[in-house]
Amino acid sequence: MNGEHSLPDGSLPIENTNEVPQPAVNDPNAPNFIPFIPAVGNGFVPIPDPNFTNMTLPLNGVPSQMDAMAPTQTISADEIALYDRQIRLWGMQVQQRLRQANILLIGMRGLGNEIAKNLVLAGIGTLTVLDHELVTGEDLGVQFLVTEAHIGQNRAEAALPELQKLNPRVELYTDADDIKEKLPEYFHSFDITIATGLPVDVLCNINMACRAYGRKFYAADTHGMYGFIFADLCLHDFVVEKPRSNRPSKIGDMETPTRSVTAVDSKRENQTITDIIAYHETYTPLRLANLSPLPARSRNTRRSKMRVTPLLSCLRALFDFQSQSGGHLPVIRRPADLAMFTRLANQKHLELELLPETLRADFLRSFLQNLGAEISPVVAYLGGYLAQDVINVLGQKEAPLQNFLLFDGEDFTATQYSLHPINDDAMAMMNTNGLPMMPGPVPAEGPVTVT
Amino acid sequence: MPRDQYARQSLGSTYRLVKESRVLLVGAGGIGCELLKNLVLTGFGEIHIIDLDTIDLSNLNRQFLFRQEHIKKPKALVAKEVAQKFNPGVKLIAHHANIKDRQFNLEWFAGFNIVFNALDNMDARRHVNKMCLAVDVPLIESGTTGFKGQVQVIKKDKTACYDCTAKTTPISYPVCTIRSTPSQPIHCIVWAKSYLLPELFGVSEDEPTELDHSGDTDNVEEIEKLRQEAQALKKIRESMGSDDFAKHVFDKVFKEDIERLVNMEDMWKDKKPPEPLSYETLEQEASSINSSIKLDGQRIWSPAENFIVFKDSLSRLSHRLAEEQSKASKTAQPLPTITFDKDDDDTMDFVAATGNLRAIIFGIETKSSFDIKQMAGNIIPAIATTNAMVAGLCVMQAFKVLRGEFTRTRWLWLWNGSLRTDQLEKPNPECPVCSVAMGRVHVDLEKATLNDLVQDVLRTRLGYGEELTVLTDAGIVYDPDLEDNLEKKLTDLDIEDASFILVKDEEDDNPRIDLRLAIEAKKPTDQSKPVALVEKEGETLDIPRRPTKEDAPNGGDVDGDDANGSVVTNGFSIAPPTVKRKRDLVDDDAASGTPAKKLQGPVAAEVAKNSALNAIVIDEDDGTLLIADDD
Repeated sequence: MNGEHSLPDGSLPIENTNEVPQPAVNDPNAPNFIPFIPAVGNGFVPIPDPNFTNMTLPLNGVPSQMDAMAPTQTISADEIALYDRQIRLWGMQVQQRLRQANILLIGMRGLGNEIAKNLVLAGIGTLTVLDHELVTGEDLGVQFLVTEAHIGQNRAEAALPELQKLNPRVELYTDADDIKEKLPEYFHSFDITIATGLPVDVLCNINMACRAYGRKFYAADTHGMYGFIFADLCLHDFVVEKPRSNRPSKIGDMETPTRSVTAVDSKRENQTITDIIAYHETYTPLRLANLSPLPARSRNTRRSKMRVTPLLSCLRALFDFQSQSGGHLPVIRRPADLAMFTRLANQKHLELELLPETLRADFLRSFLQNLGAEISPVVAYLGGYLAQDVINVLGQKEAPLQNFLLFDGEDFTATQYSLHPINDDAMAMMNTNGLPMMPGPVPAEGPVTVT
Repeated sequence: MPRDQYARQSLGSTYRLVKESRVLLVGAGGIGCELLKNLVLTGFGEIHIIDLDTIDLSNLNRQFLFRQEHIKKPKALVAKEVAQKFNPGVKLIAHHANIKDRQFNLEWFAGFNIVFNALDNMDARRHVNKMCLAVDVPLIESGTTGFKGQVQVIKKDKTACYDCTAKTTPISYPVCTIRSTPSQPIHCIVWAKSYLLPELFGVSEDEPTELDHSGDTDNVEEIEKLRQEAQALKKIRESMGSDDFAKHVFDKVFKEDIERLVNMEDMWKDKKPPEPLSYETLEQEASSINSSIKLDGQRIWSPAENFIVFKDSLSRLSHRLAEEQSKASKTAQPLPTITFDKDDDDTMDFVAATGNLRAIIFGIETKSSFDIKQMAGNIIPAIATTNAMVAGLCVMQAFKVLRGEFTRTRWLWLWNGSLRTDQLEKPNPECPVCSVAMGRVHVDLEKATLNDLVQDVLRTRLGYGEELTVLTDAGIVYDPDLEDNLEKKLTDLDIEDASFILVKDEEDDNPRIDLRLAIEAKKPTDQSKPVALVEKEGETLDIPRRPTKEDAPNGGDVDGDDANGSVVTNGFSIAPPTVKRKRDLVDDDAASGTPAKKLQGPVAAEVAKNSALNAIVIDEDDGTLLIADDD
C-alpha cells in the first residue's frame, strides 16, 4: 500500500525541519573552551596543551543532540519506497535518525566524494561539505562529482550540483573557508564532523573542538593503496542484536577495556531467540591515541606482533614528519626527507614494541611511493567503510569503529586497532582481582590533575 | 597535472596494463554502478557493460548512476551515459541485453582481459563462469547482501570456479503444511501467494516451486480432499465480477475449508484447532472504519482492516483480469492471467491481507505488509556502502590479475564491517564444470552432422574409441546404442553457436576425463571437414586420463582448513530459472576468524530448514549471497 512510486519532481519540498548549520559566530552559551589557536605558517598548528593536563576532558561534555533526538516526524510512503532496501536492513528508527542528522565533511577530494555520496544516498538530513581548495587536473582521476569544466573552481562548490542529484531530499551546504580558520564553536552544530586529508595537528584541534561540545569526530586519509580511519565518538551508546549466545551478557560486563554492557533484553521470533544488548563505549582523542601502545593481545606473543601491519608505524611516522615539517609530505626525490621519514618509522616501530623484521624496506618504499596519491578503488573502500560507520553511529546500532582502521590494498587487510592510553594488561588484572573497574581510559602520559 | 597522475604514481607499471585492458562488466546494478565508476576513473581502456534490466525506484538508494528521471530506462545505457562523464578518455560500450544471448559467444568473451560479475542470479553467474573457463579469461565474481559481501577470483586451472562449491537449492514446504497445518507466518504467505492467488487469477496447472510434493504419498486421503477443494474454488472463480464474488471466496477459504479441517479431530490433538472467520462479523466491524484511508504498510493491520484490503484488492484484481480478458479476446491472444509480483500493489495487497486472515484463523502472528513483501518477494536488503566496498575490492583484485599474480589474489569476505581474507581454493577435482577438459570446435552449421563431430573430431582427431557418450543440455544425443542421430544436422539437435556439448569416454580401460566442447559457428578452413577442433599455434588438446581409485588425489585439503566454503548441497542440480543464488552463511564466530563453516549432509539440511524465515531473501538488483543468520 505504498502508493505510486513517484517523487514530486523539480523543487522538492524538504519535509524535515532540520536545523540549518549555524554560522560560525561566538556562542555565549558555549562551554569554556581552550582557545583554538589559528594556523601558523604552512598548516602547522601548535598543540594548545600536549599533555591535556588542564583540559576539562569533556568525556561527558554536552550531550549530543542525538541522545535527545526523538523521532518526531513520520517518514512518508515515498521515502519508504525509495529507501526500501536499506530500511529492510536497519529499520525505520535508524532511517528516522538519519534524516535528522547534521554532518560536516571536511575535504572534497576523492575520499570526500565517496563519503558524501554514501551519506547522501542513505538519506541523512543535512550535509555541509567544506573545502577551500580548487579543483585540479589530477582530481579528475578519482573524483566523480566534478569534470574538466570545474578545474579552478572551489572543490566543494563544484561538487555540489552532482551531489544534490544523488538525493534531492538531503539539505546540502558548502563552505569554502579554510578549516584552520574556523573557531571551535563552528563544530557545535554538527552531530558528527568528518575530516579528511588534513595534517595531524589540524585533526587534533578539530577533534578537541568537537569534544568540547560532546560531538563525534572522524578523521580519514588515503595514500594510494593505503589509508586509515580514526574515530573519537566521546561516549557512545549503541545496541546490537545477535542470536542467543551460550554465554549470556550481563549488565556491567566489560567486553573490552572500553566497552561495557548497559542493558540486556531479548526477543523471540518463531524458534529463534535474539539477544538485544545495549553497550556503552568510551573513546580516546586522536592526540592521545597516537601516543598509545597497542593493546596487549596484539603484542604479547611474537606471533601476534608479526601480524601487526607496519602501516601503523608508517602512519605515525608520517604524522610526526608533517608536524615537524610544516604539514608537507616527504618528497621522494629529497634524500633528507627519506632519511628523516625512515628514522621516524623505525622509531615508531620500536615504540610500538614491534619486531624490526616486520618493517621491511620494500614496504617503506611502497608506502612512500603512494604518498599523496588517491586511487578510486581504495577511496571507494574507505569511503564505504566510514560512511557505514557514521550511519551505524547515527542509528545507534551495531558496534562502531574503535578506534583506528588501517587499510592496505596491496595485502587486502583492513584491521581495527584499539589504541588507548590505558594499559589494558593492568585493566585485566584489576578485573580478575575484583577491584573496581575504571569507567574508561585516562591519559597515561604525565600526571593527571582533576580540578 | 593530468588526470592519470595519481594512478601512474600509485600503480607504477601496472597502470599501462590497466590502460591497455579490455574488460567486461556483467550487471549494472548495485555493485555494477560502483564498479563501473571505479573502472572508468582508474582508466581501464575499454569497458563493456551489459544488463537486461530497467531502472526502478527502489534502486536509487544505492545505484548512484541512476536518478528519478531514469526510472524505467535500461540500466546499461544510462550507466554508460552517466559514467562516461567521469572520464571521457575511456571507451565505454553498453549492451541492453541478456548475457546468455547467442551473440555473446566464446569469441566475444575471448576478447576480454578480465570479466567482472556483478550479477543477481545464479543462472547467469554459472553461464559467465562456464564461458570464462572455456576461453580461459579470468573472472572476478562478487556479491553482497546487507552488511555482508564477498569477492572471488576465478582463473582456469589455478583457482576454484563458481561451481566448485555446491550451491543450495531453494526452500520448499510440504503441501500439507501450506494447505492444512500452517504454523508460521511464512506458511500463510506462501499459501496466499502460491495457492490462492494462482487458483483465482492464474493458471492452476503452473505448479509453484515452493510446494514440495515428496510427502504426498503419505497423505493420500488428505491430498485428495485438497484436490477437491481446489476444484470447488475453480467453480467460484466463474462467478468473478458478480457482487457476491468476495463473499463466495471468503466463505470458501476462510470458513468452509476451515470447518472441514476442524472436523479432522486427529489433527488437533496436540494443538489448537483453527477458528473459521465470519464474513458478516468482519463486514460489521469494517463498516466503522473509513475504508478510503490508505493503510500504513508498516503497521500490523487489525482483522477488519485485513478484511477491507482483501475485498478491495480482490475487486481491483477482478477488474484488471476482466479488462485484460476482453482485450485479449479481441486479438485472439491466449487468456491473460495475473501472477504475483512484489512491486504490483494489487497482488501484494491481496497476498498480505489473505495471508494475515489465514494467520488469524490458525492463531499465528500477523505481519505488516512491509514485512510480508520481503518474505513473499524474496527481497534481500541492499545498501550503497557494502556495494562500494566490494566494488573497490574487485578492482584491487583486478590489478593483481592484470599482473598475472594469481597467488596474491584472495577470497575476500566483508563481514559486518570487517574484511576477512582466505586463500583461494584450488579447483575441486570433482567439479562438474571446471574439472573437465575443455576444447573448442569451429562448425559449419549449414553442413555439419553429428557424425562429422563424432567421427572426424572425437574418434579420428582425438582418438576416442567406440564407447563414448555425447550429451547436450537436453540429454544424450549419441552413444553406441543410439546411432539414429548421427546423420542429423547438429542444428537439428539444438547444437547451435555458443552452446556446449559434453563427451564422456566410456571405455573400461584407462578412460579419458570428461570433455566439454564449445561450439562456435565459423566455417573451418578445410572446407571438406565441417567440424574442426580449434587449437592454438603449437598446442595440442591433450585430454588427461581419469585417475584410478588408488592414485586419486585426496581432495586437496578438504579436511584441513575448512575456512572457505559456506555453501550447501547439490550445486549442479537443475534449478528453475526463477531461483536465485543462495548461500547459507552460518555461525558468525568472530574469534574463529572464519566467516563461515562448511556444511554438509544432514546438518546442511537442518540449517536450510531452520533458516527458512530469514533465508528466502534474494535481491533483484545486486549480487546475492543468501544468508541465514540463525544457527
